[in-house]
Amino acid sequence: MKYRSLASVVAFTAVVAASMLMQTPAAAQAPAAKATPAKTVPAAKAWTAPLLPNGTPDLQGVWTNNTVTDLERPKALAGKEFYTEAELKDLQKQERQRLYVTETEGQPPANHSGVEGAGADDVHYDFSQFGLDRAQAKLAWSRRTSIIVGPEGTIPPLTPDARQRLAEIRAKTKGHEFDGPEMLPLGARCIARVNVVPVLPAAYNSNLQIVQGDGYVAIETEEIHDVRVIPTDGRPHIPGNIRQWYGDPVGHWEGKTLVVDTTNFTELSPFRGAQNLHVIERFTRVDQDTILYQFTVEDPGMWTKAWSGELPITKIDGQIYEYACHEANYGLADTLRGARVAEAEAAKNSAK
Amino acid sequence: MMKLILIGGLLLAAAAPAWAHHGFAAEFDQTRPLKLKGTVTKWEVTNPHSWIHIDVKGDDGKVVGWMIEGGSPNNLYRLGLTKDSLPIGSEIVVDGYQAKDRSAKAVGKSVTFSDGKRLFLGLPGPESEPDKK
Amino acid sequence: MMGWIAVLCCVLSLAAASSVAQVSPYRAPRTADGKPNLSGIWQALNTADWDLEGHAAAAGPVASLGAVFAKPPGLGVVEGDQIPYLPAMAAKRKNNQANWTNLDPEVKCYLPGVPRATYLPYPFQIVQSQNNVLISYEYAGAVRIINMGAPTKAPADSWMGWSNGHWEGETLVVDVTSQMEDTWFDRSGNFHSSALHVVERYTPRTADTMDYEATIEDPNVFSRPWKISMPLYRRVEKNVRLLEFKCPEFTEELLYGPLRKKD
Repeated sequence: MKYRSLASVVAFTAVVAASMLMQTPAAAQAPAAKATPAKTVPAAKAWTAPLLPNGTPDLQGVWTNNTVTDLERPKALAGKEFYTEAELKDLQKQERQRLYVTETEGQPPANHSGVEGAGADDVHYDFSQFGLDRAQAKLAWSRRTSIIVGPEGTIPPLTPDARQRLAEIRAKTKGHEFDGPEMLPLGARCIARVNVVPVLPAAYNSNLQIVQGDGYVAIETEEIHDVRVIPTDGRPHIPGNIRQWYGDPVGHWEGKTLVVDTTNFTELSPFRGAQNLHVIERFTRVDQDTILYQFTVEDPGMWTKAWSGELPITKIDGQIYEYACHEANYGLADTLRGARVAEAEAAKNSAK
Repeated sequence: MMKLILIGGLLLAAAAPAWAHHGFAAEFDQTRPLKLKGTVTKWEVTNPHSWIHIDVKGDDGKVVGWMIEGGSPNNLYRLGLTKDSLPIGSEIVVDGYQAKDRSAKAVGKSVTFSDGKRLFLGLPGPESEPDKK
Repeated sequence: MMGWIAVLCCVLSLAAASSVAQVSPYRAPRTADGKPNLSGIWQALNTADWDLEGHAAAAGPVASLGAVFAKPPGLGVVEGDQIPYLPAMAAKRKNNQANWTNLDPEVKCYLPGVPRATYLPYPFQIVQSQNNVLISYEYAGAVRIINMGAPTKAPADSWMGWSNGHWEGETLVVDVTSQMEDTWFDRSGNFHSSALHVVERYTPRTADTMDYEATIEDPNVFSRPWKISMPLYRRVEKNVRLLEFKCPEFTEELLYGPLRKKD
């Protein structure tokens, strides 16, 4: 695969590494399971990237970034950036086994409290009954041991400033998690989710649809029906004082790669505490069924250095459906009401 | 308990959703488990959660309407199901936990038809494989 | 003699038919795949979202906002001026009108459905490709993707409905079904049932304007199909784009305020 113009040596290295990685075909998880070819050689492929009638690369279609790969590398895998082919096959087998156990014995309790460090509880509907277990949808497999690339594979340390800011937010929140709607997570309020920019995997429905028109690339993420309409005609960012949940994206083509630069995030973005987030993304179609997605996140006031991630986005046969969220968000009201009932009972008991 | 499956030195965490959008234990009470049997009056195919409405007849003969929280229907559509896949009048059994606000709402940890067959996706799907050991 | 009259009548009726089908002879620039190019950011410039039917100005629902949120006047966008409700449905509209701030889904920032999404007082953007036409609406981040291939069926109702589209000459025709019954047409309580069927027609009129028509059919609520029509205007400012109007946040006090912890 050749790329006509690349911004930097770093990008080139990432792409070469990724193209080697992409020779591991995505194992189909859909009912019509395809046999996974044992080995593929890049030079033998005669695939040419499809172009739109107006000559721009075609990224269109319905895709998923559903994955087993965590954002950060597990401590037990420190220093190991890639699985071998054999280890990947093992992972895939274990994933199928895990799903079988879930479907027959029920899913294991986990922490559903939304409070970090809380113990496991059982209070949840069965994902696999609704087809929401990640293994019940197509998985975009990768040999990476974390989405974040590099020897560490973790989000860099916070700056002292950020550490203090987050400590203050935590102190203000503690004991007040259910005081009012503004205390609940943005996702629970149906305002914004972490899977939109960068395009990180969601727990389920981790799908997106790309539609390209003249001078624009539109990316709709299924949850929460969020659309980014990215101009590629060179227009500048919006004024700096206008801040948005998902920022302001502007894009341009570098050869076959769509490069998107996003600024103007609010300081209450899904990366809570980050005040001047800057996200750079690269979308490159590397074969008929795969987009290689790479991103870099930086905020000098938040992290000591920029961090980058990479994940494959693979084509799915289905389509995305409306995920309306706010319109039937009974859970938010129920959560607040539940907290008020618990407080009233606690007050009654202490009054005794 | 969270199981970490060791595969030749590798780790694959059990798939609790990494970016769950809110705490369910804030909405439903682990200390109030229940088992309900009722007739479906409506299936609200909504997001972020769907809700199955059932009429439950109590021991006193009175009928109480309950709302049972379930999952997003979107992937069911991709797997070929529609809003008609849970017919009105179906008899279902709900194993779950009551809402923290003590109302006639519950989360259905497991929902079956009265013959024991699991709702929506029967066991096990083609994506999973039985233990060959 | 009768032969001439027959030919003349035939020619005249053909001419009449073609002038009804093609309101203007404008031919829009083409996309690379040869279709009229509707891409861009558009907005309606009328008071249809206040009231589809013609209306005089009136005081608004919030006294402290005075003239800022008073009801502006409008000529109306309904062909034939009046929406043909079934007699049994007139009472429901009256009740909606009387209680609109409590009942109008726009107040709660619920997704608006079609055709209301088109004439809300916010811009929308058309991103047009061969197999899909995506319309992104600034209001509430509403979006729909119009399938331009072989028509498909909805698995369930949705707020923005299910859209199948095709081209008829210069016009994009969109068939919209399976909408939730909870949406309204405007702030004046005009409503529908789950049987709603909408057919939209988008026809470029000049380089920066478009004719928009929507035929509305719902035998549960109306005695016959009826039509609305209006021009849409291109937003031509330099570097224009849609901005975020994620309004669920602005409705939280209204919806959840009473559930807040009291100090």
